[in-house]
Amino acid sequence: MKRLRLIAGCLWLAASGPAAEFPSCGLVPGWIQKGPAREFVSDNLYDYINGNSEGYLIYGFQNMRGVTCVSGDRSIVFDVSELPDSESAYGLFTSNRDPREPLEKAGMGAQVLGQRAIFAKGSYFVEFAASPPDQDHRDALRAFLLAAEKLVEGTTALPDPVGWFPAEGLDHASIRLVPQSVLGLSMLKRGYVAQYEFGRAVIIQESSPELASALMGRLRQRFGQTEAASVAGESFTGSDKYLGRLVFFRKGAFIGGFVNVGEGQDLVASAAALAARIP
Amino acid sequence: MNEQSSRRRFLIAGLSLPAFGNVSSSSRQPAAAGSAPAASGLRYRNLGKTGLKVTSVGFGCMITSDPTVIERAADAGINYFDTARGYQGGNNERMVGAALKSKRKSVVVSSKSHASGKEEALRDLETSLRELGTDYLDIWHLHAKSRPEQLTEELMEAQRVAKQQGKIRFAGVSTHAGHAELIPAAVKTGHFDVILTSYNFSMDPLMEKLIADARQAGVGIVAMKVMAGGFRKVREADPLHPKLGREGAMLAMLKWVLKNSNVDTTIPSITDLDQLDENLRVMTEAFGAADQKLLAGHLERIRPLYCRMCGACEGACARGLPVSDIIRYVSYAEGYGQYQLGREGFLTIPAELRQASCASCVKCAVRCPNGVQVGERVARAHELFA
Repeated sequence: MKRLRLIAGCLWLAASGPAAEFPSCGLVPGWIQKGPAREFVSDNLYDYINGNSEGYLIYGFQNMRGVTCVSGDRSIVFDVSELPDSESAYGLFTSNRDPREPLEKAGMGAQVLGQRAIFAKGSYFVEFAASPPDQDHRDALRAFLLAAEKLVEGTTALPDPVGWFPAEGLDHASIRLVPQSVLGLSMLKRGYVAQYEFGRAVIIQESSPELASALMGRLRQRFGQTEAASVAGESFTGSDKYLGRLVFFRKGAFIGGFVNVGEGQDLVASAAALAARIP
Repeated sequence: MNEQSSRRRFLIAGLSLPAFGNVSSSSRQPAAAGSAPAASGLRYRNLGKTGLKVTSVGFGCMITSDPTVIERAADAGINYFDTARGYQGGNNERMVGAALKSKRKSVVVSSKSHASGKEEALRDLETSLRELGTDYLDIWHLHAKSRPEQLTEELMEAQRVAKQQGKIRFAGVSTHAGHAELIPAAVKTGHFDVILTSYNFSMDPLMEKLIADARQAGVGIVAMKVMAGGFRKVREADPLHPKLGREGAMLAMLKWVLKNSNVDTTIPSITDLDQLDENLRVMTEAFGAADQKLLAGHLERIRPLYCRMCGACEGACARGLPVSDIIRYVSYAEGYGQYQLGREGFLTIPAELRQASCASCVKCAVRCPNGVQVGERVARAHELFA
């Protein structure tokens, strides 16, 4: 939690003494901490989140601090996870948000539901889980979320690739950072996917154009018979029994493409539109 | 600990969301009309007496990251998909529901609840249905039971109520441990239509009889942990990697499970399309001599680590430690990645025994006939759980 700082908005918290650390139940009046604060690292996260620690670790989870807050018969479990960078925090957020529900304007992204609220900001992923489960806790959750968001340092800008997907036909809520086997291809280690009306788009970043070019070679090899296309630095179209009609291109260190593209859709034009938005 | 547990409950309680893409329960059909073998290369088996025909290889969705794999598996004809309320903090059900939305009528979807009481279980079920975007589950399991007393009347009543309401078609129970007591007890209730059990080549041969008896009673058998705890993760540094890491080696275990005709389907984890391809192929490939060799190699790898529960060490420890139990608990954590299960098991050992250290014995009196390094394993248990 090296970069977490209590900033101006929580001076009143600082006045309440050394116990006023973040996360703190004092963020919202009327709530007090119950039980000791929690702290977990990657080695013992399983102790806490039985059944989903892998979902955190796969995004590079570093540590988590948490408290349980109570007010009357209501409780809110308040946990702050630190990830290696803002992209990973955003990735964890995308895997936790409900794409069917609206987002709130906070941090890089936030969502408040009846029993749960989450947001990502900088390299932090923050979550609140409320009980009893048969009540709607949106007001309290939103109050905690907005107060906490002010205290977390870090960027609120979305990772660049999120803005590169062309808007036409895009299901905005579908954008996710997939942490392994993107599109079910083990060679694509990590990347963004987005669902379109006509197919699924992907953006992968390699650490250099050379590595991206090598990956393009492996993709071509995987899909067998491919045809060269004229998009960005190098590109090809092809088909696959699972991924249907597809197109991949490389632009610098980035690889982009579409898979499972409907018959009526122009593969090359779709790829060109995506490539044009990648710097 | 209470706080920790409560967080799990909160996360598992999930979200109050409207269902999407609901499929009417009135249009339910058996998952597939095919019979074994199908011309497509898919193989179907009857799931006990449920009337469901399921592909012999299903899909355990727990660790899948990209729903593309689930969608393509359904396209390829796999028709059995397993998830649970608790997987991926509740996100797994949502992903599985979205991936199978257009195919809901033609697939069998199972989920599970860890709940310990009726009301909590029924709340979990409502959340599962919302997250999966369906108005019924084909199979709803009581999750991870290991002792007969955990099959409470209250939980079975929850399943009965859910059946009456048309929210589930069949009642199931899943088990990773305590099979020898749990499986017969589950069958004896006459309540369960399906048992989801860990089952692989390295387990006690007693499993064959337990499964056969359950199947004989008409209970459907779904096998999990068929890869005996992470066979796919043989590291390159492992001296056995050249033998075990090559193509086909990982599938010998799945073939071994499938050769047991009392197993109706299996739910290996599938994270990419190559694994999907391999698993599809397994449906048409018989277990052969080459597979037997590969399994022998794997046994060589896990021999020092993995208790086969033969019972030969019972009472042999001078300090009175329940050696086989302790080694089994370590295996849950290290082999299956079920740390919590392992630790929970370890904590059931009386405190005075848990604290007993092997270091106080000059020489270990326990000799495992299967080659398990008992002292090292018990020390590991203390490292992990004490």
